[in-house]
Amino acid sequence: MILFIQQVVSGLSIGAVYSLLAVGYALVYSVYNFTNWAFDAFMVAGAFAGFYAIASFFIPPVPAIALALLAAVILSVGVERIAYRPLRLRNAPRLFMMISAMGANLCIINLANLFFGGQFRKFPEIASGTIFLGGVAVGKMDLFAAGFSAVALAILWFFLYRTRAGLGIRASAIDTLTASIMGINNDAVAFMVFAISGVLSGSAGVFYGIKYAVYPYLGIVTLKAMIASIIGGLGSLPGAVLGSLLLGVTETLVSGYISSVYRDLFSFSILVLILLFFPNGLLGSKDSEKL
Amino acid sequence: MFFKYFKKGVWLVALLALSLSSLLSGCASSKTIKIGFIAQMTGPDSYIGQAAKLALEDRIAEINEKGGIKGYKIELITYDSRSEVPDAVAAAKRLMDQDHVSAIIGPEWSGAAIPIASIADTSKTPVIATTASNIKVTVDDNGNVHPFMFRVCFIDPYQGFAIADFAYKELGKRKAAFITDVSAAYSVGIQNYFEEHFTSLGGEVVAKEGYQANDQEFRAQISKVAESGADLLVVPTATYRDIALIAKQADALGLKIQYLGVDGWVADELLSMAGKELDGAYLSSGVTTESPEFKDYNAAFEKKHGMKATVYAYYALDALYAIEYAASAVLDQNPSADPGSEAFRVSLKNALETMKDVPAFTSKLTMEPDTHNPHNKPVVILQIKDGQWKIVKTYEP
Repeated sequence: MILFIQQVVSGLSIGAVYSLLAVGYALVYSVYNFTNWAFDAFMVAGAFAGFYAIASFFIPPVPAIALALLAAVILSVGVERIAYRPLRLRNAPRLFMMISAMGANLCIINLANLFFGGQFRKFPEIASGTIFLGGVAVGKMDLFAAGFSAVALAILWFFLYRTRAGLGIRASAIDTLTASIMGINNDAVAFMVFAISGVLSGSAGVFYGIKYAVYPYLGIVTLKAMIASIIGGLGSLPGAVLGSLLLGVTETLVSGYISSVYRDLFSFSILVLILLFFPNGLLGSKDSEKL
Repeated sequence: MFFKYFKKGVWLVALLALSLSSLLSGCASSKTIKIGFIAQMTGPDSYIGQAAKLALEDRIAEINEKGGIKGYKIELITYDSRSEVPDAVAAAKRLMDQDHVSAIIGPEWSGAAIPIASIADTSKTPVIATTASNIKVTVDDNGNVHPFMFRVCFIDPYQGFAIADFAYKELGKRKAAFITDVSAAYSVGIQNYFEEHFTSLGGEVVAKEGYQANDQEFRAQISKVAESGADLLVVPTATYRDIALIAKQADALGLKIQYLGVDGWVADELLSMAGKELDGAYLSSGVTTESPEFKDYNAAFEKKHGMKATVYAYYALDALYAIEYAASAVLDQNPSADPGSEAFRVSLKNALETMKDVPAFTSKLTMEPDTHNPHNKPVVILQIKDGQWKIVKTYEP
């Protein structure tokens, strides 16, 4: 039984980091109807900025993490300006924006590889150590990451549902064109959406860097977050969180009780099965009721 | 309108010229022996290829300064395999078909070396794998040797045997658990050879957990190992990051266990990433930078390049020494041989196959003609202690 609980706890901690990324995907998708494939790069930017801030400039952890998030936000907003906005203004098909995102991603990851080198870097320890609850080990960093994810998502929810700016984003999510006719500044919405995505992916990058290692290809995990956000329902924020936790736990249980060789097989099979029965994902809804 | 097309035309001509010139540059000048090097130059595994390339370049510059091999200069052509099998195979094909190299050094891992072996046979180009230790690299499924494939490292059956022997007899361990990269021929091979010898001695393998290349999350497997009651955790991985992550995550889950590893662990980055968690762990290696005979070389290398010499550099040098010997032997027979010709490559292969006690970088090399493995390569058992590699024992076959 302890083994089972341990596996579920490990799975939830993996899912918590997926959820940061998955919510970012959901947010961009809900407003712009395209998948922001460049998340990978923002994550890497966050991880590297945090790493160098602490390891090379000896900045204390909290301002270092803030710097890391800032770096990811700048990159995210920059990519929006350079790679998406020109396409958006010319009414390019959404598919082209996705391709543009992939290009931006490949470009940034390869630049990171070129400038920083591909080797693994150990993130300076911020919250090391483990708490044992009745034989179940919970890493302090995992708890912190899960707590951070929960708080970040709560703030995001508040922002979207209780502020005027959030209302603007939600209006754009329903219909960008009508929203702009009604006086909502599309560019401001884009700035906010991509800044938020930057914060989410940058923090996921920092947590990933701390938990595993900092290297240019750490963003490979964004594919999992993408699956999680589809399972939950693309465009639905609660769905993204649910999908992430579900995926994290499924992966650990499959690895633990069946075989890790079949882990991805199960992840993708679940995706297909869920889409067969819930074409919009678990909590996804029609276009008119997104976010 | 005309200018629009004219502009396009200019671009096209420029592109054509560029591709033609690159094609032409592939043509060999007859007094140069071209040697290909397929290495992991970029990405997380670049630590394997970087130092090796520098070591080869140093050595080649040294030979060329002294007038080359019997008057023939050496040229090194390095291609990045990006640690991907398709890229490594493409690099091998390009070296053989386009650059017309006389021989190839690399790749470093069995997964890429196995498919390259058949291409080497077809194009009749000798390939010397550096650290690809799976038995199938030089012999096919029926046990027939690949005529043009060689290696300079030990083979996994012996590595598996040595660590199993060490675990049972020296460490007194009886219950072993595995966390194995099931997508790597190397890892699975060692697991099987270990199990064979360990169980024959009376030990038991109580858990066999798998994962796939590039996985980062091992807590599910570690929890199972903890549950199995094993007193030894063997991690036969070809890359240090896997064992670093496993050790860190096991530490976070509170698992204290004796670790046992393989030559794939060897990278100084491992010590900085998880030296603390792996303190006391044992592993096997073919050579080690800690050996006193390499002290001067290491110091000079670090001074010149600002990075440390690695065992991957040593193995690459061993392969280069073997090619130097073979080329010299071929040129003795035929002083005006054309290094780009098939006849030259076949003679080179014959010379490599029959080499005996040839002085190489790490030790004297004798090739076994029926397996193309180096004869009697020892296995060194190392221990990670206080953030350093310590030599514990040497197994001679």
